[in-house]
Amino acid sequence: MSLMARITEGKSYHWWSRMAAMTGKELLQLGRDTVLVCAVLYLFTLDVLMAGGVKMDLNQGAVVVHDSDHSMASRELIYRFQPPYFKLSGEILNEKEGIQLLDQGEALVVLDIPPKFQHDLLQGKPAAVQVQVDASNTVLGSLAASYSSQIIGQYGFDAALQRMGLTGESLETVPMLDDRHRVWYNPNQKDAWFMSISELLTVITILAMMLPAAAAVREKERGTIEQLLVSPLTPMQILLPKVISMTLVILLGTALSVGLILHGVFDVPMKGSLPLFFLVTALYTFAMSGLGLFVSTMSRNLAQAAMLVIMIMMPIILLSGAWTPPEAMPEVIRQAMYFSPLYYYIEMAYGILLKGAGLAVLWDSLLGLTMLGSVVFLFGVWRFKRQFG
Amino acid sequence: MGQPTLVNTVVSEPIVKVQGFSKSYRKKLAVDGVDLAINKGEIYGLIGPDGAGKSTLMKAIAGVLTYDGGQVEVFGEIIDSEAAAEKIKGRIGFMPQGLGQNLYAELSVEENIDFFAQLREVSREQLISRKRKLLAMTRLDKFTNRPMKLLSGGMKQKLGLVCTLIHEPELIILDEPTTGVDPVSRRDFWAILTALLREQNIAALVSTAYMDEATRFQQLSLMYDGKVIAEGEPDQIIAKVPGTLVELIARPQAVALSQLKSIFQQVEAVGAVLRVFVEGQEEEAAIKQVKSLLSGQEVSEIHASQAEMEDAFIALLSQANLTDSETAPSIDTNQASEIDASQKDKLAIEAENLCRDFGDFRAVDQVSFQVRYGEIFGLLGANGAGKSTVFKMLTGILQPTGGEGKVAGQDMLRANQAIKERIGYMSQAFSLYQDMTVLENIRLYARIYAVARKELKQRVDWVIATAGLQGVENRLAGALPMGIRQRLALGCALVHQPKVLFLDEPTSGVDPVGRRRFWDILIQMARVEQVAILVTTHYMSEAEHCDHLALMYAGRIIADATPEQMKEALVKAAGELLEVTTDQPLLALKLIEQAGFEEAALFGKKIHLLAKEPQLVRQQIESIFTENNITLHSISHRHPSLEDVFVYQVMTHENEMARHEY
Repeated sequence: MSLMARITEGKSYHWWSRMAAMTGKELLQLGRDTVLVCAVLYLFTLDVLMAGGVKMDLNQGAVVVHDSDHSMASRELIYRFQPPYFKLSGEILNEKEGIQLLDQGEALVVLDIPPKFQHDLLQGKPAAVQVQVDASNTVLGSLAASYSSQIIGQYGFDAALQRMGLTGESLETVPMLDDRHRVWYNPNQKDAWFMSISELLTVITILAMMLPAAAAVREKERGTIEQLLVSPLTPMQILLPKVISMTLVILLGTALSVGLILHGVFDVPMKGSLPLFFLVTALYTFAMSGLGLFVSTMSRNLAQAAMLVIMIMMPIILLSGAWTPPEAMPEVIRQAMYFSPLYYYIEMAYGILLKGAGLAVLWDSLLGLTMLGSVVFLFGVWRFKRQFG
Repeated sequence: MGQPTLVNTVVSEPIVKVQGFSKSYRKKLAVDGVDLAINKGEIYGLIGPDGAGKSTLMKAIAGVLTYDGGQVEVFGEIIDSEAAAEKIKGRIGFMPQGLGQNLYAELSVEENIDFFAQLREVSREQLISRKRKLLAMTRLDKFTNRPMKLLSGGMKQKLGLVCTLIHEPELIILDEPTTGVDPVSRRDFWAILTALLREQNIAALVSTAYMDEATRFQQLSLMYDGKVIAEGEPDQIIAKVPGTLVELIARPQAVALSQLKSIFQQVEAVGAVLRVFVEGQEEEAAIKQVKSLLSGQEVSEIHASQAEMEDAFIALLSQANLTDSETAPSIDTNQASEIDASQKDKLAIEAENLCRDFGDFRAVDQVSFQVRYGEIFGLLGANGAGKSTVFKMLTGILQPTGGEGKVAGQDMLRANQAIKERIGYMSQAFSLYQDMTVLENIRLYARIYAVARKELKQRVDWVIATAGLQGVENRLAGALPMGIRQRLALGCALVHQPKVLFLDEPTSGVDPVGRRRFWDILIQMARVEQVAILVTTHYMSEAEHCDHLALMYAGRIIADATPEQMKEALVKAAGELLEVTTDQPLLALKLIEQAGFEEAALFGKKIHLLAKEPQLVRQQIESIFTENNITLHSISHRHPSLEDVFVYQVMTHENEMARHEY
């Protein structure tokens, strides 16, 4: 072996030995930070668990009734508003009271049945009922509106059939459309699957930015960066161990969350390749840590860093489709989604975990994440090197 | 302003009376059974290292902290409730610890003063006249519109004092007002206090961690670990430990040092001079004892003098069994005699015309100096003088705008990385990982500096032995006392056996015992291992330890010599330092000032002044005293301290620059 080769080998040995020492140091420090360890554990377990427990369904929405008819027919309609979606919570005497209850948030739906309701129905005349819905929460409001119109429509349909004397077996002679859905990927339409995965991806997003940012800012805050800068470490040897160690921590947390919560509690099927999922997660974490490094160059203390992380995280999540699907976005915003790394990650995570998709399907998302991620990461590294180089 | 009251030795009831004071935080006793009394017209000192309980005591007297045992009486009011504290708060001015801690960073100098005046309900006319006077006294009048955050440390502290004084309190309580402040601002600070004492007959309670400030007080308490270990006038306290200070020059120094250490408890190398405190011996006997011990060495310039506060403090501590019993690092004397003076003339650091600009501002201007291997070189200067910038350029963190330099034989413009591998660096703030143990920190730095795997254990053991860290290896660095932490930082800086060591204000906030132990290690490194050590400091007793000093002012080096040469130059330029002892120092000071000695300063009950023609000045002072019927105890000649040198040099340059501006 030539002398030159031996020297370069010695150098690269030192390079790796320094990297290993610094990575070990980061892990050690994180391990000593009880609050942070607890926060990470909480986010990967209980937080995801809670998110999976959240349902987007209407659950016992309060219905108050203004019944001016007090008839068999009105009572029958009223009793069709049943749990689990609705709950009858009393009768009111005038319309004003109904508005009041809506204002106060005591009632979600006010059902107003006019006088002569039964009379008109029996006469075969069109009968009207009024439904007022509190739509200040749009999801709940639209669910309540759609369920009540289904209930009322069904009631009207039943009343019509009855009046036409069509009951029991004679019904089968009437031509009717039988609408049968096939729900793919989440056959029981469990919200828990979507919600828990979505929450896990959000947690990964936050931590992938926050952990490296915190590790770097802490060095600034406590003045330890000074000691590192006068040492033979290059800026890369200072920042890469932070990214590597935090990525390791996040992958570990993700494994815990996937195994214990997603699979263990919610029975998410894990159709695709788990190694591919973790590979994608590692790539995504690296990309986001670039933003974390950028944040650390902009802030002087942990509080500032946390504020900036929240600021940057919000648009990334909003534009990702984690909370609202791309199909619901206006065209401009749909274009902007291509700039959210989380968009690609979500695409792949759902694809792998729920659809069992592989690289053959997901290659374009992977390419997108790799390209966008490299740009973001290099940007963070460039800022860090400029500040500390 | 009323007629100045000049009687300060005649005492009525004390303003502050503290009896059996104690205070615990959780289960830890912070102050235990302290008594003290402060009289009108008195500057009372609390001296002790960090964590001695000074702040706790001061806060309780200021009425902002409750206490557990004993009694605190201020202005005849027993402070036992919030209501009682409210009654006296208007007559007290309290300045908490920390530079500009009570001020608002975004407000200007004037806005800060106005705000405190409003808070204290000072009338418009009074505010205007007091503000003018205090701003002139503190020499802040040129900076009234500058935001507080842009002031230097010394200026911040002076502004803090102005804000504390704006309502003319009768008792001022100042918690470590001079910590982290450069010597010139410290002088200003004491001059202001003296003037207030003279004009308004107030009382002041002042704490400090600097032993060399002890002589400034009329009365003082030496505190350590929550207890008062001695109380009284400075001279009385020093007299409590009978003994003599012997100073000498011996070659080789390291050998002499270890020999002396085997017999005497307090031995210190201060630059080329060895300082030995011989307990219980008169001058002649002490010199004889030291000489006989060093019979094999070449000893010169041996002389004896009175001990100083620091010697007394350390002796009192060891009498009370309060020093920890760790063994001092041992010095391998065989090795020492061999290498001493071998590498002497090789240069470790060469700076040539270094310049650095920040925008239009030139922070460092044509700085040149040289440091040899085995030499301890001190870079002195106030905050903002450019010391840190020079440091950053030499250690490769900052590119110079101009000039060049070599560190450890490597060109600093080209071989940045090679320099970093060859130097050790210890920063001012503790910059190791507090959430890691001593051992983990040392190992981390050993690996960062690429200490070979098979040498790792041996190097780590060496660091632990050299820095005296036995027994704390597995404790978290953050849980260690200041003194040990600094030694750990030094140990980490030495882990890769660097031949050049950079230390930035290494012992600020460390107690005298801890500081001596720290310097012991440095002396060993320099004398035995021939390490070149560059130290920045604005702490003058640290500067005394250096072999060579460069004094920086406004980005330039204005003096470059050995401490002794600097002192000699001062005597040549400004005259000898005379110390006048009298019963009525305040009146005497006023008369001396009127006679044209404007730089005269009060040190406790003594007055210091510089005299170019000492004989003439002696006669002049004697006649002033007889004319005014003041008893003159003595006029003696004193060695100037480095602080005197610093203040003189900086003031001279300041005046010169002011002249240029006109």
